[in-house]
This record gives sequence, structure tokens and C-alpha cells, in this order.
Amino acid sequence: MAKLKVVHYINQFFAQIGGEEKADFPAELRVGEAVGPGLAFNANFKDEAEIIATIVCGDSYFNENLEKAKADVLAMVKEQNPDVFIAGPAFNAGRYGVACGTIAAAVQEELGIPSLTGMYVENPGADMFKDKVYMVSTKNSAVGMRDAVSKMAPLAIKLGKKEEIGASAEEGYMPNGIRKNFFEDERGAKRAVKMLLNKLAGKPYTTEYPMPDFDRVAPVPAIKDLSKATVALVTSGGIVPKGNPDHIESSSASHYGEYDITGVMDLTADTYETAHGGYDPVYANEDADRVLPVDVLRELEKEGKIGKLHNKFYTTVGNGTAVASAKAFAEEIAKKLIADGVDAVILTST
Amino acid sequence: MADYIIVTNNPQVLETFHKDKEVLFREVDFKEILTVVRDLVYQGKELLTHPLSGSVKPLETHYKSVLISKADKGPTDFRSVQLIESALNACTKFAYKNDNDKQTLEDMQAVDLALISGAIASADA
Amino acid sequence: MKLEMGHIFIKDIVFAEESKISDGTLYVSTKELEKIVMEDEKIKSVSFDIAKPGESVRITPVKDVIEPRVKVEGNGGVFPGIISKVGTVGSGKTYALKGMSVITAGKIVGFQEGIIDMVGEGAKYTPFSQLINLVMVCEPIDDIKQHQYEKAVRMAGLKVATAIGELAKTLTPDETRVYETSTIKEGMTKYPELPRVAYVQMLQSQGLLHDTYVYGVDAKQTLPTILNPTEIMDGAIISGNCVSACDKNTTYHHLNNPVVHDLFEEHGKTINFVCQIITNENVYLADKERSSDWTAKLCEMLDLDGVIISQEGFGNPDTDLIMNCKKIEAKGVKTVIITDEYAGRDGKSQSLADADAAADAVVTGGNANQVIILPKLDKVIGTLDYVTKIAGASEETLCEDGSLEVELQVITGATNETGFNKLSAR
Repeated sequence: MAKLKVVHYINQFFAQIGGEEKADFPAELRVGEAVGPGLAFNANFKDEAEIIATIVCGDSYFNENLEKAKADVLAMVKEQNPDVFIAGPAFNAGRYGVACGTIAAAVQEELGIPSLTGMYVENPGADMFKDKVYMVSTKNSAVGMRDAVSKMAPLAIKLGKKEEIGASAEEGYMPNGIRKNFFEDERGAKRAVKMLLNKLAGKPYTTEYPMPDFDRVAPVPAIKDLSKATVALVTSGGIVPKGNPDHIESSSASHYGEYDITGVMDLTADTYETAHGGYDPVYANEDADRVLPVDVLRELEKEGKIGKLHNKFYTTVGNGTAVASAKAFAEEIAKKLIADGVDAVILTST
Repeated sequence: MADYIIVTNNPQVLETFHKDKEVLFREVDFKEILTVVRDLVYQGKELLTHPLSGSVKPLETHYKSVLISKADKGPTDFRSVQLIESALNACTKFAYKNDNDKQTLEDMQAVDLALISGAIASADA
Repeated sequence: MKLEMGHIFIKDIVFAEESKISDGTLYVSTKELEKIVMEDEKIKSVSFDIAKPGESVRITPVKDVIEPRVKVEGNGGVFPGIISKVGTVGSGKTYALKGMSVITAGKIVGFQEGIIDMVGEGAKYTPFSQLINLVMVCEPIDDIKQHQYEKAVRMAGLKVATAIGELAKTLTPDETRVYETSTIKEGMTKYPELPRVAYVQMLQSQGLLHDTYVYGVDAKQTLPTILNPTEIMDGAIISGNCVSACDKNTTYHHLNNPVVHDLFEEHGKTINFVCQIITNENVYLADKERSSDWTAKLCEMLDLDGVIISQEGFGNPDTDLIMNCKKIEAKGVKTVIITDEYAGRDGKSQSLADADAAADAVVTGGNANQVIILPKLDKVIGTLDYVTKIAGASEETLCEDGSLEVELQVITGATNETGFNKLSAR
């Protein structure tokens, strides 16, 4: 049987070009070469597969020139026409992980080539892409290279052969939100007894079904009289004054903005815009009221339906922003709103 | 008089209980009757039985009866909201079975009647 | 309590003039059995058949699966409160016929029952494809209510299983297992260092075809209580339900409860298996609160360190399962729960209807919505008439080549929540 053809994507560090200072290395195709971890992959593949080309790309180059870098790499992969595409493993390197996840998912979706990547479970790329492409769970540094390759290689071969992929626990990939059945060695009751013995002894155990995280927030009592209430607007839709004076990022926002709207009755294309990179900005730029309904609330104020619209609004960009950051922003914003005597908040998102 | 209402789309339940109990009967499908319950819950009624009772899955049976409080329980009961919204959500996992003959429909009605009867017995106790 | 279980291995079942067991073969007189079944005038007719592992046979619709047992020594008789008089069981000597079962089949309500395939893809998912099954297909008289007929079939199956069990009374078992439980004080004195563990079993108790009976009492009417784990081995708990075939506990599951057996394996070694706590899964929400409060209270009063909780069914029972788990954990008692999942055909939906962070140790019996193809088989015991109506099947079920495209839901015992099988999911 012919060997499966594999194209491998790695960053500047693993290609031994350099460290951070070389992270702006543009995407480069090396036909017929296996580089760095690629050598370990080839050894693991034995007769079944081989790396026919390696693509090296700097992490900064990829993340800061997303559209171009993606297009370039996709063209390179398409030209090589492999059976399987492997990116990484990225261990705990954040931008590398995001790059690997992005490119592996793109190759799969746009070229229809089965793809696979690997990284540490806390890598930001993990939550973003584990449900889009098979992602093997690795240790948190290159010390875990051998372990990572030993799990990624067999999975890559299965993908290349278009074989049925089993459950996450069987194949070594991160649970991706799709439950798959498989047969364990022992019956359920036995597994339960063992799990209980571990739990009782304070030893580690792994649940077979992680509970979904609902993060429930108990609602507070409703406003009794809206006509006397001060209502504030808060948004994760990224509405900012024109020019984005505080440079709120279009994704993975690192901060939020607080803006005064005293005397502002309506948001216009000249005065406000959106900073959000996760949706088509045309309509929000034409009229930011569509995301932050200042005009409507001013009307309600005039009609006496609400007491008044608070003179400040708070904004950030929800796109790819870490849950922990969002929580932190909200805690601060809430304190300020309470101090300012706000009774209710309308939260808009996109 | 009991302090609950039986919300149902099951004609057998209507027939059995309409004389002594308050029955809100609608001739609608499974999802619709749960939606009726949901709207009443948002308006202040409390759920007294679990909307996913019976292990015939949502949409695999056409009939569902639910007990809700007659009185408004004040502000919307959060737990009831959770239960009814979860139940409606669970409907998305299953597909409607439409080829049911008269006997099967009758069987489904009988099972639903039995399930709600048990609950009514508890409610009356 | 001490119970000596004798296992008699049945290697073949054959129809004969006279019923008896000889050299591991069960000879069955259908005439004798028919007489027993037809005592109940609600049954119009019954036919018997034998299905062996590996045969191209499909049994459907399946109601219950029962293992024949007989009390040889000790208080009470098998299936107390139903077949035998009420009398506390679980001690003395009992024999079980291993390797076989009695299956009741025939329509009660078409959409609830299940399928057992003796060969092929479907056989992998049910433990009953590994047994020699004596199947009794029953027919109701005309104009009878479903709940009356359910009871008639339930009783008929137990009577037949009892009659067959009786045939073993004078035999010598092929192997013997001894199960011994202590009283609370005895256990504490004997195993002062071992963690105190109990099995919390949730019993299906929602109504018609969703009921379970404990010493003949409808579990719906009971308050949570404790049992000696050996009592179930004599049939103290029997099934009156045919909820989705995949996660219903048949009487066979109750008799052979794997959690009870696997906890006994560790008893005296790594744990003190204190007792079994049974509770229910009622529809009325206040009943749920009462039962879960009570169960947690029992765990506390018994000074337990840990419990294994198993449930039966989906949706409504998921709420009880999470309530029990939360309240028991809140008492400082560690839990492991056993459930199955309904994650949709694509595996992406939320598996349980309820959830809580306290349920951090879960064993799963698999996703019941998984679609499989059951091949066309040569023989059907029962009828295929209801196959599109069974929970887990649809109009699309019958394929052109005679195979059936169904969800695991339809297979009796496929995702059992007492942890009977090896099937799992991630």
C-alpha cells in the first residue's frame, strides 16, 4: 500500500530558525523535508506514512497577517495535496497553539483534507479549536514531545486512511463535545466501584461525563417602577467613539471602555463605530444604535417610560475574549454602576 | 377544590378529570403544550410535576400532561423556568414520529393518563 | 445475613414431554407451562420458543427478562410478596439457573418494548444475546386495559420463571458463592478502619409501565428505605416497567445487580458494604424533594463515607439523580453516579436533562441515541409489526434490504444504568 502523504506545519522555534526575535518569519514551504518534530513523526509512521513537505511560519507573522498567512499556507498545502495535515504540537505556546488550531481547521474545512493538531489543554488555542479539529492533549512543554508524537502519529494515520475515529478516551484527543460510544474493558458497576475507592482515598479519578458548566446567575428581583429607574447600557458588541481612542482590540480584548454620552441623543456614522472583529461591521458602522440602542432609550426617557438613561456606557469586544477577563471587567463595571446609582442595565451582545 | 390546574393535550385526561378538577385542554402537539406551560410559568405559575415524566421521549409520544399551581406564585419561579426550558430544549434531540395509528395513539394517551394520575394522587394527599 | 447462592449452569434448553433439569439441560414441557400462564383469564394465548446465542433470531417486542431461581433453605421464597408470600428473604440458600433466562414478549404498548438480537451488530449491545432464552409470547384477550394486561404478563413471566426454578431445588450447584452482611454495630466492630459504603438504587416509579415493585409494593408509594443487599438476590425487587428498552432494569438486572455484586467483592477488604438504600423517581416535584431529602438523611444517619447511586430512565429521573447527588454530597458523603446519555444522534446534545458541579464522578452506560444498523435475521420470535413504533425507531427504520436502522434505545439492556455492561462514552 502506498505511504500516506503528510504535510506538517511548525513555527520558527521548532524549525530551529530562532526564538521570539524570528517570530515574524513569513510562511515558507520546504518540499521533501521533515524538520524538527517532523523527524519524530516520520520515525513513528514507519511504513505507513511520510512527511512530504514542511511549512514553517513565524507565530507573529501568522497571527498579525491572518488572512494573508492563511491564504499562503492553504495554497501551499493544496499544491502538495497530502492525505493528512498535521500542525504542531504547540504544547503551551499560546500564539503557536492558536495558529495551529486556525490552520488545521482551515485546511480541513476549505481543502477537505483531514487534519490534526496537538497542544496543552490550557493553551488558548485548545478551547477555540478542539471542537473544530481533532486535537491531541499534550504535556505543557516540549519535554512531552515523544508522548505527543506517540499519540498524534497513529491518529494521523487513521485519519489519512479515513478510518472510523473512536471515542476521545480511546484515541487520545481532547473531548470535543461529541459523545462517542465505545466498549471499556470492565463493566460500569466495576468502574464505579473503582472510582469511588479513589475518591474516598483522595486519589485522582476521571469522570466519564464532565458536567456542563452552567455558570448560573440567580436573577435579582425585577424593577418595580421603571419610570423612576436609571438605566445604563453595557455592550460586548464593541461600540466605541469614532477612531477607537482607547484601542480596544478587535478580538481577545484586554480592557473595556467607559464613555460619556451626556447630551448624545443618537449615535451616527461620524461619531461612533464598532471595534468588534467578529461580525461584519458595515451596519454597526452606519448606525451604532443598532448595537447600542441609545436613540431608543432617549425616546423612552422623553416619554417618561424610564427615569433616565445613565450618562455613561461601558463597552468591550466579546470576540475571543477570555471568560476570566469578561468576569473581571464586569466586576469593575458593576461597582461603578452601583456607585453611580444605576438601577438596571441593558446588556447588548452580538 | 384542588389548588392546581392540569394542562394537557390528552383527551383521555380531559375526559377523566374535567368533572372534578380544573383542566386546561388544548388540542395541540407535544411541543406546543409544553410551550403553553412555559408561558404560564413565566406569568407566575409554579410547576408541580416534571415536564419530562415518563421515559417515552419527547416527540416520540404526542401526549403530555403537566400540573401547575392554580395561584400565581408571585415573581416567576426560577426553578420552574429551568425545568420547562430544559424540557423544551430536550425536544430538539428527538424527532416527531408521525405514522401513529389509532391504537398506538390510544396507548400513548393511556400511559400519559397513568403518569399524571399518580401525580394527582400525590397532589391530593 | 448470610446467603449462599448456588449456580446451576444451563447449557441447553429443549422442549420435552416433562419438565426437568438433567446434566445441565433444561427440558421444558410447554403444556405444563401453558397451563400455568393460562390460569390468568386475561391472557388469550401464549406460545413458547427457544433462542440460542449465535442463532439468526430476533425477539421483539420484549417486556421483561427473568432468571429462574428457587429458595432451597431459609426464610421466605423467591419473588416475595408477588409469587411467594411476604417474608423477609436474603438469607439461607438459593439456587439460580445461570446461562439462561425467561423472556416475556408480545405487545402491551407497542412503543415501549424492546428488541433482542441473538447475533450480529445488535447482539453486541445486549447481555441477553449471550443467554439461552426461553421466550413466552403472550396475547391479550380483546377489550382489556393496558395496565391490567401489563400486570397479567408480569405475573405470568414470574410464575413461569418460578416453576422452572423449582426444578432445580434438589440439584447440586456447579458453583457456590457466599454473601454475608453485618448489622450496623457488627459491621463497625468488625471493620472499624474501612470506609462505610452503601448502594443507593433509584427505582423507576412514574406510573403505568414505569413501575417497580419491592416485596410486591409499588415503589411509587414507598419512602426511601434500606435493604440488606442479599434480598435482591431472591427477587425482592422486580420490574413492572418497560421504559426505553435500553435503560430499563429488567428483573434479571435486579436479581443480578452488578453494583451489589461488585461492592460485595470489596466488602471486608477495601470497604464496609453497609446496606442498600432504595428510593424512587416520582413525577410530582414535591415527592422528589421529599425522597431526596430522605435519602440524604439516611446516608447521614448511617454514617456513610461514600455511595454509588444508580438511576433508571431519562429526563424526569435525571432531576432525582442530581438532587440525590447534591444533597448527599452536602452531607459530606462522597458519591459516584451511574447514568446513561441521550446526546442526540450526532452526540452533540447535552446528555442529561439536569446537571450540577457536585456530580463530579460519573460512570456512563453510553449514548442511547447512537444509530446502528441491525441486519435482517432469519427468524422473528414475536412480531416486527411494532418495530417502527418502538422508542428509538421511526418510519425510516425498515430499510429496503430488510435491515433496521435504529437507535441503541430499542435494544433491551443496551445502556443499562446499574453498570451491567462495558459500553461507555467520552
